[in-house]
Amino acid sequence: MLITKNVKSLLSRTPSALKLCSDLYHTTPCLHHIKLLTRLRVVDNCEIGRQAMAEGKPPRVIAIYNQTHIGTIGDKVLVAIKGEKKKGIIVGVKKHQKPHIPKTDTNNVVLIDDSGTPLGTRIHVPIPSMLRTILKEKTLSKGADYTKLLAIATTFI
Amino acid sequence: MALNHNLRLALSNCNRILSRKSNIFETPFLFGCSEVINIRQKKVWIRPPRVKYPLWFLQKERAEYIENLTRNNKAFIEEVVHDQCGAPAVKSGIETYNTPLKIEPLQPLEITTSSKRTGLIGKIIGQYPLWMKNGEKCRTTLVQVVDNHIIKYIPPEEFKPNRKPYRGEPKRKLGCLLVGAESGDPSLYTKEYCGLFKNSGVPPKKKLCRFIITPDAMLPPGTPLTAAHFRPREFLDVRGLTVDRGFQGVMKRWGFKGMPATHGVTKSHRRGGCIASGAGKARVYPGKKMPGHMGNRWRIAKGTEVLRINTTEPMMPQRCWLNQSSSLVVRAPL
Amino acid sequence: MLSCISRVHRSTRLNSLTILRNLSKNSPLQFENAENGEKKLSIPQENRFMYQEFLPDPELKFRNQVREKLERSDMIKRRSVIDIPSFFVGSILSVTSADKHDPNKTRKFVGICIQKRYCGLRHEFVLRNVVDNLGIEIAYDMYDPTIHNITVLRLEKRLDDDLLYLRDALPQYSTFPFDMEPEYLLDGAPVPINDIKVKLKPRPWVGRWERKGYKGIDDVDQHITEKMKGQKKKLEEPWEKYDLMKEYRRTIPEEEQEEIFSEVFSELHQLSLSNKKLKKSRVYVKPKKTG
Repeated sequence: MLITKNVKSLLSRTPSALKLCSDLYHTTPCLHHIKLLTRLRVVDNCEIGRQAMAEGKPPRVIAIYNQTHIGTIGDKVLVAIKGEKKKGIIVGVKKHQKPHIPKTDTNNVVLIDDSGTPLGTRIHVPIPSMLRTILKEKTLSKGADYTKLLAIATTFI
Repeated sequence: MALNHNLRLALSNCNRILSRKSNIFETPFLFGCSEVINIRQKKVWIRPPRVKYPLWFLQKERAEYIENLTRNNKAFIEEVVHDQCGAPAVKSGIETYNTPLKIEPLQPLEITTSSKRTGLIGKIIGQYPLWMKNGEKCRTTLVQVVDNHIIKYIPPEEFKPNRKPYRGEPKRKLGCLLVGAESGDPSLYTKEYCGLFKNSGVPPKKKLCRFIITPDAMLPPGTPLTAAHFRPREFLDVRGLTVDRGFQGVMKRWGFKGMPATHGVTKSHRRGGCIASGAGKARVYPGKKMPGHMGNRWRIAKGTEVLRINTTEPMMPQRCWLNQSSSLVVRAPL
Repeated sequence: MLSCISRVHRSTRLNSLTILRNLSKNSPLQFENAENGEKKLSIPQENRFMYQEFLPDPELKFRNQVREKLERSDMIKRRSVIDIPSFFVGSILSVTSADKHDPNKTRKFVGICIQKRYCGLRHEFVLRNVVDNLGIEIAYDMYDPTIHNITVLRLEKRLDDDLLYLRDALPQYSTFPFDMEPEYLLDGAPVPINDIKVKLKPRPWVGRWERKGYKGIDDVDQHITEKMKGQKKKLEEPWEKYDLMKEYRRTIPEEEQEEIFSEVFSELHQLSLSNKKLKKSRVYVKPKKTG
């Protein structure tokens, strides 16, 4: 509720609400794990993601496709966004990381479809360069091609 | 119990004598004990006691009492100790003695793939980060090897001569090597214990250990052993004490799942549950996993890899999970 | 009982012997200096801050003199390969490291050092920067051989021991351009202390910053509720600074520090001298490349 109120008030004041979102509040609870019902931040410019973030209803995780059920960089997740089910790839985590692995202030996700093609055309934020290897490995084992995500990224960290 | 034990010892001795002259076997025993009568009725062969302690299993530390020594006498004792063991020294932070070696130069051993070499006695002194060639960080355990000496060699024929030799007995191939670490003050140990070290020319050791070897890997008593005994990229078996965790429940000790927190469960959230069925044997089978004391046991970490060896400070970082500050036994499983 | 006492006596004597031996080890260093005459190689006091990771963990459980010595020798070996500059929490660094995922196989990251932790070979520092409105933190092992280069872009100190509250501060306080030019201090100049007060975002925060007594936060009380203020007051321990025993357990005693630095100082000093020479030559080379 707090989040919605903040964003609504922001929207009335400034047009670039999305940019200031990260300034004012945190989208995940203090545990920092990405698990079921965690709110994520959509960082690509797809229509549905942009609308959801602007409305103050960031997507929720409803499935994590890995063994531990705790999402890390490069994991595929199923999110509930604007009453729809979409798949996404985690491109930034808030959890404590090992040396050399970047840790971001928000839990970021890029939405994709079933064949691995991203819904948007550009990613606004830097993504970890280890995604290059991770996504390549995942592409080999499964049918979908996830490396298209790398093509729309602007910066790597 | 002690009496009973003596009795059984005596019995076994008797039996050995008697069995040679079987016709005397029926003659009544002198002891008026019920146990004896039973044996006589059944006419069973009494086995010799199973436990035969090895020759190095001795009373180690003598009783400490007020000796009322004068200062001169104390100085004299120290002088004698120094004459025997050499000057006291601190080797890599451990107090030992600088004993001069009394051995001839060694001949290089001819070791084949089938031979078993001796191991070492070490001490875990902490964790040490190392980086591998591919840039990976590796957490290793440092093992310190200080002042190891070979004390005694026992050839295969004498090693474990527990039973009477019988026909078709397999030939014993493995001998035994006694290895000690960290020289101690001889005046603190018993006479018998000090006697073990007489031939090797080293002062009595604080830690003593046995390694089973093939005779071709024999080393003469008094030989010093260092960490250079092993090489990097070798795989070792490390025996040591695990962390003492005390009396623990079934969840921590055996990894049971416990029971739910809610849904009508009362007072048994971390219990093991049923331990046996009444329908079958109606008893608890031996070896059932139950709560009890966890840890502080001798366990072997097999196949730990030696990553680096430091010969100036005798160290061996390696992957291992055993308890810190306990003495370790390290050997190569060749 | 008596024998016990005698044992204790012997051990103390052995300790004194070791100390004597250490002193004699150090003596050649002093002699060399005496021969040179002009340069007096005394161990400066700021070493404990500059080479903080050479001091072991004060927790007795983790202490072992032999291991610490081995770690120190390894650290100096690493320092002879690359120039690891001394920096503090609040300094701005750029780190170039090997990255097998990158096509160029290297990665450069610029950021403010918000934390330095762990002792010895496992010493770690955390860099923070805001790139495209996204706060990013990367931790680095200081003695990791995959690090190619560490450069201090701006050498300064802050008011606090760690700056973890920058996670909840406005992004302008932790935004630094990747093409930032290094700022050099004059030789022998003291490290400037930046007494900037950081403005925090409104709650919720990642941590309870109001309880930790940070000096670098601008007016914490405006963000927190009355209840939180009460809790903060309840948890305050103003008498702690008078607790000498706690201080003793928290730090390494001065005598021990001297012993440690006397062992490594001559090597560190030589390394720093050779690095300075290298730096000078580098400065000379730079304009050639651009021109």
